Order: sequence, then structure tokens, then C-alpha cells
Amino acid sequence: MNPSPVEAARPRLGTLLLRRGALLAFAAILLVFALGAPNFLAPGNLANVLAQSAILGILAFGLTTVIVGGGSNVLSGGLDLSVAANLGLSAAVYATLDNAGYGAFAGIGLTLATGLAVGLLNGLVVVGFRLPPLLATLASMNLVAGLELVLTENTVLPSASPLLEWLAFGVWLGVPALAWVLLGVAALLILLIDCTPFGLRLYAVGEYPEAAHAAGIAVRRHVFASYLISGLCGSLAAFCSAAWFSGSTTGSGEMLLSVVAIAFLGTIFSRRLRPSIGGTLLATLLVGFMINGFQLLNISSFWVNGLQGVLILLVVALSGLSRKEP
Amino acid sequence: MSDSYLDPRPARLSWPSRRAALRLALPALFVAILAFFALAAPGFLSLGNLSSLLLNNFVLLAMVAIGMTCAIAAGGIDLSVGTALDFSALAFVALLNAGSGLPLALGGALLAGTLVGAGNAGLIAGLRISPFLASLGSLFIGTSAQQLLSDGGQPNYLAPEARPDLAGARFFGVPLPLLAVAALAAVYGLALARGRFGRQVLALGNQPLVARYSGLAERRIAAWVFVAGAFACALAGILLAATVNAYVPMSGNAFLMNAIGAVFIGATLNRHGRANIPGTLLGVLFLNVTANGLLLIGWSFYWQQVATGALILLVLVFSFVGRRPGD
Repeated sequence: MNPSPVEAARPRLGTLLLRRGALLAFAAILLVFALGAPNFLAPGNLANVLAQSAILGILAFGLTTVIVGGGSNVLSGGLDLSVAANLGLSAAVYATLDNAGYGAFAGIGLTLATGLAVGLLNGLVVVGFRLPPLLATLASMNLVAGLELVLTENTVLPSASPLLEWLAFGVWLGVPALAWVLLGVAALLILLIDCTPFGLRLYAVGEYPEAAHAAGIAVRRHVFASYLISGLCGSLAAFCSAAWFSGSTTGSGEMLLSVVAIAFLGTIFSRRLRPSIGGTLLATLLVGFMINGFQLLNISSFWVNGLQGVLILLVVALSGLSRKEP
Repeated sequence: MSDSYLDPRPARLSWPSRRAALRLALPALFVAILAFFALAAPGFLSLGNLSSLLLNNFVLLAMVAIGMTCAIAAGGIDLSVGTALDFSALAFVALLNAGSGLPLALGGALLAGTLVGAGNAGLIAGLRISPFLASLGSLFIGTSAQQLLSDGGQPNYLAPEARPDLAGARFFGVPLPLLAVAALAAVYGLALARGRFGRQVLALGNQPLVARYSGLAERRIAAWVFVAGAFACALAGILLAATVNAYVPMSGNAFLMNAIGAVFIGATLNRHGRANIPGTLLGVLFLNVTANGLLLIGWSFYWQQVATGALILLVLVFSFVGRRPGD
């Protein structure tokens, strides 16, 4: 029996449930933790989770921007594997400059410039030389991680500037500074990508490059811009990381796969399964709440990775059911 | 592999000779690097250095990269190669320590590693999850499983009396690990380049829509590709465990990025930019030789990584810049 056109156009209840399933699952997880651990919903704990999520979240925002502009096909679409290494290098640059006695503005400026330079390099090889992003950013990741090692010689560079003090211990309206940074960066990027013509064109470039090109959008310039934004996010996250660990840390590259997972997990919070900053923020918080809830319930943190993996597979499989075969 | 939309300029005339020359960029650079190190680094060409390079560095990465070649040839990517390697090493060490004989330990290890691939295959073929996300999920689950089994990452050492001398064994004067890589490369290379299944894999990787409309069983092909890839990584796991005489949790992930790099470097050798086994082996050798040579001329480990990253970038830029969009 063929459905009438009107019926076909109206999404069925099951489809709707699946689309909203991610939010329901999020709510269910929060509920389980709230029932199991009385402190979980305390404002102080919630604010703490926000602050702890800042580093991963800001990195994932950068990656999300690149995926928006490049399309979500992993092999040929947008991908920036250098975000985590960029954080490591930027944090090392900041700590080095700070210890060498540079002023606050020089230190902050040069750190941001480091992040932008990494984004510039990625944009140059992806847009200028037409390398597949997966490959280009894989190489730049190695390069950047190497530069970090040269600078730090694989040690921790301690650093304690007023900026880091404020980021680590500052509290405004009862909410820690790092949480404000996370929310601030998220708000700025949501404004830029969801509310401006630039963001609309970036989505067009990512999803229908040929159509965007035919409509007269400067495709290459937009893709380039997305890598610059990602580079900037890397250095912004570096400030948070330097504040959290009181200096540069080794092994920032280990964050990469978590960041990739969060960025792709974020797509399930959007109705049409497309990457968005808001979705990535929710995915960041979901992972943050899971880690925090496990701590409160005294469950071994070794389970966190596995649950994250199961969650990715579960939601992707479920959302795949609601999508028609191409 | 190329993004035609990123290039609004009209395609240039195809110059077969020029394109062939660009395809030779990697071998030429490789020869140049070899010549440079031979002149600049005393001892680079010595038998001891070359054999240690082959046996200690080349063999393991080559096995993992061969596994990765399968996934990339089929148009996917396998982020859980390290997990398959780790599971195999874990089973190998646990079985040997439990007193089982070598044959049982080998079989158990191959099975444990291949199971990771079978899990991926089930996710990809059964639940229609894209290979990238499926293997990412497996990687995370595998990390958790290893943390739980090893109390957060404590190595599990082989008891001295249970240590098999696989890494040092020789057949007709040829070290066993080298033979294993050669056999693996021959079987996978022939299957991919000459076999019927290999043609289906490449069809799926290059023209997924055409493959679908020609009635290829794409999900079944993708599933087998991941099983075959995990088998190669399981071999690497056995060899790693037998070399260091221990299972070190989560040690397989160190190979992931280099394996991907080697496969894509190798793909630049192919006329159509396809992943292929000979190219992958050359890619692995390229990475190994660069690291080894830089070490010998006295560069610190830190600068080695910078130079390796820059070199990979250079090779890729050379091989992609001359390629027409749509190739």
C-alpha cells in the first residue's frame, strides 16, 4: 500500500523518536547518575563538569568547524587531525614565552599566532595543494608534535601567569572561569556558524560543494577559513590546558581520538545528523557527565572509554535506521 | 581522492610523461634520501644497521600497514588496527604463560586479533555503520577492555621458560619475521592486484556507486576486508609480543598514524592513486629509513619527528600537485 503524499511528507512517530533519541538518552543518563549519586546535580558539581570539559570541547569545536566546511565524509571530507598536537605546541609556546619573561600581551599574541600558523599550514596544503585533509593534517600533526618535542624536550614546562591563575581559579557568578570560556567560545562559534551568512555558506560548501561553486561561493576561501578557525581553537584550548595543568603537558596527542569521537557524536544531536557546534557542545558535556558520574558512583574510570565507544556505535546504528539508503 | 570542487580552474591538458614523472617523485626522493644518508651517515649502509632496520622497525609496521591497506583499498579506514594487535599479543602471552604449547598460543592469538576485525565487520555489514566510526568504537571498547584486564595498563611479561624464540628464528638463513612479512605481502598483494576478490575490493573503494549498481555484495566485501586486515595485525601482535617478551597494553596504537601515512604515501605510486601493497611497503621503508638515517647523523629524536612530518608533507604535495582533479 503506498502512503499518500501527505502522509509520506510527515515524519512518522518512530522516526521522530529516533531523531530525538539522542536527547532522550542524554536525559536518561543524567537521571541515572542523579538518582545514584546525590551530589551529581549540585550546582557546584555541574559547574565543575563544565570546567573540566573546556579543553576537549574547544578542540572539538575546531574539528566540527572543519567538518562543516569540508563535509563529513572521513576520507575525502573535512578533517583536522592536528588539533590536539596544536594544543600541545601552543601550550608549550605559551609556557616558554611566559618563563622567558615576555609580557602578557606578547605571550598571548604569539600563542594565538602559533595556533593560527598551524591552521594556515593546514589550509595551505588542503586548499592550495589539494591534498586530502586526512592525509594533510596527519602529516602536519606529526610536524607540529615534533616541534612541541623540540621545544619541551618531552618534559613538562611549568608556568604560572596571572592569566592562567584567573583561568584556573577564577569564579564568576559561582561558575568557574574555564566553564565561562567553554560557553563563551561555543556561543561565539554558534553565532558565527549558525547565524551569519558566512556560516550558511560554510554549510553549503561542505554539503554541496559543486552547487556552492555554481552559486558563486568562493569554495576554497571558505574551506581555508574553517582550518584557520580550527587552528585558533587549538591555541584557545591550549590556554585552558595550561591553566588546568599549570603549564604545558606531554602527551596531548592522546586527546585526538576523544576529540574526533566527540565531534562525530555531536552530529546525533542535530535533526538531520549534520555537524553543529551546539551538538558538539552537548556531546562534550555528555562525555564529561559520564566521567564525572562514574567518579561519583565509584565505578572504575577504565569503563569510560568502552562506554563512550558503545554509545557512539549505538547512536550511529540507531540514527542509521532512521536514514534512508542513499 | 582529489577534491575537484577545490579547483575551479579548467583541467590542464593531460601530459602522460609529466604525470608519470610526478608519480616517480616518491621513488626519486627515496633514492635521494638513501644516497644522502649513505654519504652523510657513517655506518648507514653497514650490514648491521640495515638488518636491524629491517628486523626491528620495518617488519612490525609493514604488517600493520598491510592490514590498513586492505581497509583503505576498499574505501574505508581501520582505526582499530592497534586493538587487533594488542588483543593478539595479549592472547599469545596469556596462553603461553598458562602452559599451552606454541601452536595453540599462535592459533589463539590469531583468533583473538581476527575477532576484532570480525567485530568491525559485524558493525559495518550488520548495522551499516561507516568503517571510520565502527573502528573508532572498537578502538574505545578495546581500550577499556585492556585497561580492565591489565589493571590500568600493567604489562604482562612472558615467563622465561615459556619464551619462544620467534623473532630470532631463521629459515635457510632468512629471519622468520622477514619471511612472514614477505608471505603476507605476497598473498595480500596478489589477492588485491590479481584476484577476483581484490578487483571487487578496489571497485568498491574507487566507485562505490558503480559497485553497488553492478550488484556487488558490498557489505560482505567490506566485512571480509576488515577480517583480513585484522589477521595481518594479529600476526604483528604475535611478533611484537615475541620480540619484547611481554604484552604491553595499548601499545598497538603507536602504529596507527604511521600505518595510515605509509599506505597513502604508497598510493601516490599508483597511476590512479589507489592503495596497493608494494607501494605500502615502500612507504613503510621510506618512514623507517628517514627515521634511522636522521638518528645516525645525530639528530635528536625530537627533530626526527619534525623532519619526518615535513618529508611526508613534501612527498604528498609533490604527488598531488600535478594530479588532475578527477583522477
